[in-house]
Amino acid sequence: MLSYWRQYLAISPFFLIFGIFSFVPVFYSLYLAFQRWDGMGTIQFVGLQQFRFLWDDPVFWMSIRNTLVIWVLSTVPTLFGALVLATLLHSVRRFKGFYRIALYIPNVTSIVAVSIFFGAVFSNNFGLVNAILGTVGISPVPWLSNPWLIKLVIALLMTWMWTGYNMIIYLAGLQAIPTQIYEAAKLDGAGPIRTFFQITMPIMRPIILFTVIISTINGLQSFSEPQVLFGSNAANPNLGGPGQAGLTTLLYFYQSAFVNNDYGYGAAIVWAFFVLIMVLVVINWRVVQRGRKS
Amino acid sequence: MDLSRRRFLQAAAFTAAASGLTVACGNGSGSAGSKNGKSLTLWYWGGALSDKVVAEAKTHFAKEVKLTAASIGGDFKSKLTTTLAAGTSVPDITGIKGEDMASFLPNANRFLDLNDLGFKDISSQYLDWKTKLARTEDGKQIGFPIDIGPTALFYRADLFDKAGLPTDPDKVAARAGTWDDYFALGTELKEKVPGTYLVNNIGSVFNMAVGQGTERFIDKDNRFIGDQDHIRKAWTTAVRPYTLGLDAKINDNSWNAAVGKSLSTELGAAWHALDIEQAAPKTKGKWRVCAMPGGPANQGGSYLALPKQCRNPEEAFKIISWILSPENDARGFADAAIFPAAPAAYAMPAMTGGDPFFGGQKIIEVFGPAAKSIPASYEAPADAAVMAPFMTELTSIESKGKKPDDAWHDAVSQAKQIARRQGVS
Repeated sequence: MLSYWRQYLAISPFFLIFGIFSFVPVFYSLYLAFQRWDGMGTIQFVGLQQFRFLWDDPVFWMSIRNTLVIWVLSTVPTLFGALVLATLLHSVRRFKGFYRIALYIPNVTSIVAVSIFFGAVFSNNFGLVNAILGTVGISPVPWLSNPWLIKLVIALLMTWMWTGYNMIIYLAGLQAIPTQIYEAAKLDGAGPIRTFFQITMPIMRPIILFTVIISTINGLQSFSEPQVLFGSNAANPNLGGPGQAGLTTLLYFYQSAFVNNDYGYGAAIVWAFFVLIMVLVVINWRVVQRGRKS
Repeated sequence: MDLSRRRFLQAAAFTAAASGLTVACGNGSGSAGSKNGKSLTLWYWGGALSDKVVAEAKTHFAKEVKLTAASIGGDFKSKLTTTLAAGTSVPDITGIKGEDMASFLPNANRFLDLNDLGFKDISSQYLDWKTKLARTEDGKQIGFPIDIGPTALFYRADLFDKAGLPTDPDKVAARAGTWDDYFALGTELKEKVPGTYLVNNIGSVFNMAVGQGTERFIDKDNRFIGDQDHIRKAWTTAVRPYTLGLDAKINDNSWNAAVGKSLSTELGAAWHALDIEQAAPKTKGKWRVCAMPGGPANQGGSYLALPKQCRNPEEAFKIISWILSPENDARGFADAAIFPAAPAAYAMPAMTGGDPFFGGQKIIEVFGPAAKSIPASYEAPADAAVMAPFMTELTSIESKGKKPDDAWHDAVSQAKQIARRQGVS
């Protein structure tokens, strides 16, 4: 190992920067979760008090529920849509590059810009969607104030952003499947739907699992969407919209730490959330293991 | 390419030196030991100060110091807090938003006491209640008031006219003297001009009504008083327009679109005039301002402060007292709708002119008296955090039709919990 010191030195900047800007803060936040700190004054050790507060905090549990609901509402259509689009695109013969770029663009657009756009489109009073519904005689739908519709709009936004990303991954997977298998299936008389479920899906399985995991990580980290959608000129922004229906756990963390200057509590929130994500990962892993055995 | 050991070491040393240099530069502005620095940095956010006055300050003091002003975007408080906590690259002069001042006061030792630098002698020029909000219990003055946010009632004179209501500011103020009068007027307005609303959301009414009192959510002995009568009264006031159907229930970004259309009145601070003007330029000349129902409150308004690391406190204080002198303050009002904290400015020509957006009305005649009669109230560091659940529950009433009484109980229990978390007894 020592004889490779130059190579190690060459790759060291990444690890140094990662260590300083990611690794240390992560563990510093663990330390903060047991303290009370307003960001500038003295740090005071309070033991497990922050976690006890957390356990009794209905807003925290609500934020977890919100996050999970938004996650499910966005992940399912995202992955399903991505798979359908990838299959369609795989069979397209002309303008392949154009379609790929067009479908991938939402993912590289700034979340803030997209959120502002969605906010305008779904606005209760002057939104485009309600204007269109109005022309067919449907009364305005309170997209951004009904607790369920708020979640739906956020989920829709995330679906719009991430479908193209997952589609590209699926497309890569589809292109790796040898055409001989399909030809063989065709000779055996299998239709396109049967081919899809009995050949494409089983071969794509590991790729689908990968996108499920990536989507889990992305979905649970939703923060900017509700922050921008409801960060209006109201007296208290960052509260997650009317009735806090769009308050995700990370937004609650941000609000506690950086708006209320309660850094200890904020750290406790993210660490509790970390535990929850670990539980989800274990469940995920179990499901995968079972699939392998059978 | 095979890298020779020597070349590699040279490159590595160069990289290290370069990064060291960057760090040194980063440190430069904060940790300089000398207290007679020749250059000063000023942090503010867009609209906090008149850009013209700041630019002039640079040339005015060019002989003594080099002033670098930086307009900091994004979450100003977080950026300032982190920089102060880190202790390096701290600005020599910084803005502090009025609503954040309370949370900085417990850490007053991070700032210089402006009284030592001569603020004591000129403090009488500035509104006492505003100055007091930036002073610690033991008399340390950490903030130099820039502006204040005296509130008033903005209304659409053309819609009032259509409804057969008086349009003259004095007469409207007389008709809407109390909250009840104001809501009665709103009911009448809604009957005559359908499709218009009186208030954009009930949270803004609550915010104003709380600001009209002398007590807020936490008292001076650090006890939670958010469940007491004064808050309950503000709450009941806020819920009234909802039950009367005068509430536009706008809790998203669509305020911008609504202001020129369905909103007939707006409760807001002096700086809100600019928001309305920018959001609804087509309604120019149709708006008027009059005294707010139930008396004025304060909303926002900022300070300048000198962090402890300031490299040249004497010169920095000279600069801020020049930028914020009544004369320049008055110009800030003309340039950027920054309402001065120095009453002397209210009589200056820059402020006494008519405002074309308000049909030529001399709006200082409304805001000037309001500024002087704002009730002084104690604002605890955790006040904003404790207020948040009340605002949230008010939005729950609007969006889910939650029963106001249930919402009140949830707000109080949630606020109590936040108070306990923040060390309030």
